[in-house]
Amino acid sequence: MPTIRRALLATCGAAVMLTALSAFAAASPDPTSSLNGATSSKKSTADHSKFPELKRKFKTGPEVTQACLVCHTEAAKQVQHTKHWTWQSADPKTGQVRGKKNIINNYCTSVVSNEKDCMACHAGYGWKDQSFDFSVQKNVDCLICHDGTGTYRKLPGYAGHPVYKRVEFPHGSGRFVDAVDLGKVAQSVQLPSRSNCGSCHFFGGGANGAKHGDMDSSLQHPEHYLDVHMAEKGLNFSCITCHATNSHEITGSRYNVEAARTGDAAIRGKTDANPAACQACHSNKPHHEARLNQHTEKIACQTCHIPEFARNNIGTELSWDWSKATIMGEDGKRMMRKDSAGRRAFDSQKGEWKWESHVIPEYRWFNGTSTYKVIGDKIDPPKPVQLSVVGGGPDDAESRIWPTKVHRGKQPYDTVNMTLTVQHTGGEDATALWHNYDWQKAIATGMKAAGLPYSGKYDFVETELTWPITHMVAPKEDALSCAQCHSKNGRLKDIEGIYMPARDGSRWLDILGWTLALLTLIGVLVHGAIRVVNSRKAG
Amino acid sequence: MLKLFGGFFAGVLAVAVLGYIFMGSLMFREIESPFGVEETVARIQQNIQNVGNGWALSGLRNPGRAVESAGGNVLPVMMVEACSTKYSAPILKDDSVRFLSILMPCKVSVYKKNDGKTYIGMMNAGLMGKMFGPMVGDVMSKVAEDQAKFVLFDPNQPAPPMLKPAAPGATGAAGASAPGGC
Repeated sequence: MPTIRRALLATCGAAVMLTALSAFAAASPDPTSSLNGATSSKKSTADHSKFPELKRKFKTGPEVTQACLVCHTEAAKQVQHTKHWTWQSADPKTGQVRGKKNIINNYCTSVVSNEKDCMACHAGYGWKDQSFDFSVQKNVDCLICHDGTGTYRKLPGYAGHPVYKRVEFPHGSGRFVDAVDLGKVAQSVQLPSRSNCGSCHFFGGGANGAKHGDMDSSLQHPEHYLDVHMAEKGLNFSCITCHATNSHEITGSRYNVEAARTGDAAIRGKTDANPAACQACHSNKPHHEARLNQHTEKIACQTCHIPEFARNNIGTELSWDWSKATIMGEDGKRMMRKDSAGRRAFDSQKGEWKWESHVIPEYRWFNGTSTYKVIGDKIDPPKPVQLSVVGGGPDDAESRIWPTKVHRGKQPYDTVNMTLTVQHTGGEDATALWHNYDWQKAIATGMKAAGLPYSGKYDFVETELTWPITHMVAPKEDALSCAQCHSKNGRLKDIEGIYMPARDGSRWLDILGWTLALLTLIGVLVHGAIRVVNSRKAG
Repeated sequence: MLKLFGGFFAGVLAVAVLGYIFMGSLMFREIESPFGVEETVARIQQNIQNVGNGWALSGLRNPGRAVESAGGNVLPVMMVEACSTKYSAPILKDDSVRFLSILMPCKVSVYKKNDGKTYIGMMNAGLMGKMFGPMVGDVMSKVAEDQAKFVLFDPNQPAPPMLKPAAPGATGAAGASAPGGC
């Protein structure tokens, strides 16, 4: 009888627990939806379309910002401390001052003297030359990151302003961009979506997918194969799911990468833990196999889990040769050509490009610190100039083997002063390269704006820019297999300072081993032969 | 006599083993392309259109897309499909070899491997044709001659655009409604 009672009690207890769990499950929000910022579906306590400050006709972007600041009193000040505003940052380890304002890149090379064009991607209004006042709060552009309509668009040539009247763009193309309805956009504000971040970061380098290779417009509506985290029909992460913000400061900048995070997964919401790292959720030992977990001591997660980047038809730009710019068509006019996949391949204004899809990364040791070539740095031609170098090595505990995209190019340099030149490219004035196709005038204007001496003599030098790859994480089934690295000509064949089974070996040890094997075989054959001969003699 | 027969059968066996081992590489050819996948496809398409003998493009298939739709990844692979009724008609009219329609349209596969290089895969039409009698052998030897021209590239010529089939289904379509459909 006591046995039956215990059984009944256990059954009742289990039933109560199951009921409670069911109720909890029903009451709890979908764990994926709590991470879902792709469409900013979180219910806000404020409906901005009901705010009187926003129910009026705005003529300019700064007017909208002033209205925002009525309630969000600290927002502009916070933004003004971020790289999205200053376009400048100091490396905490090396002290080098980098940022778009200071570096020379492999694409349009430098923002200096080209501000009116480049600032289409600045979170501000009115930065058209060196006189821009970084302290004016109304010049912070709230809408570029918070527009919920998808209609807010900033074009090159307007110093960071959206178009306030209908304009033809590109000039002479016969295509037009309508004026933005600032009131409608202001009333639509939301947490940044993939569309907001992507409006600049997907199109860096002047074309869709050009710059990074692991970020392009395919991440707007990604499928599972392309990115397991952002897949629209899966986890549906937005950018800010990982790049969480605190006071408008966004975590996970490429300028400060956490290349070798160790330890357990962090609890979401802890402000002292950077969520923009794989280990933030997966920990440093995410596999069931201990052998695989050992790999995390030397290998970044991305190395195995992003086997290729630019895994789509968009592809990514692998080189930009500025030395081909100013080559005109047979009729003396600007010439443009596309590659077989319809991507830009040549333009008299800009030179020649090469693109590729499904790019196999180049692998490097990386400790999270990249060193950049900044305006005015001396160079050493004819060696290729490293515009950014990922730091680290096999003996550095902070280093891991990372996948990278290496973008190669050619750009002008001052052959006397041995510096890369700053050239004035954009604009309709008489010295702009894209207007008059005259390198001398363009360089002279650019160098003057940068405050650098120019000898009047230039040539072109090869350049390389290295990006660590971290987006477009493939499904686990598509991670690199063992043999793809552990073989003589595997993915990591050029990585030095580490012993890799099946890739490395000792020639003398191999000779000794094979000799022993051969001797054993000979011994067996001789032994067998002797036994056969003896048995015949005996028989 | 035993030695004679033994040697003969040993020779037959050796030939059979060698044939089995090399059959794959004899039936199909693989060559490296100096261009990327898209440009290789585009140049092959251009060559097919220029080679004459009734050749026309009948489709561009992307088998990798189906894998992607299922959530997986493969390195890019594109299949250029082309047909010439001059060559297909005699085979399709002959009941005894009509089953060879399974080889139509003629396919040239362009794909990337893990070494990052682009390769072209083709059937060895000349050799395969010989297995099916003189008529098929004759037709297929001519197909093989044209096939060789499909993959002759002039790097001094600018890259042509890759042509995507206009038929519904885009890259997944066989292009039965396209002019070159067999």
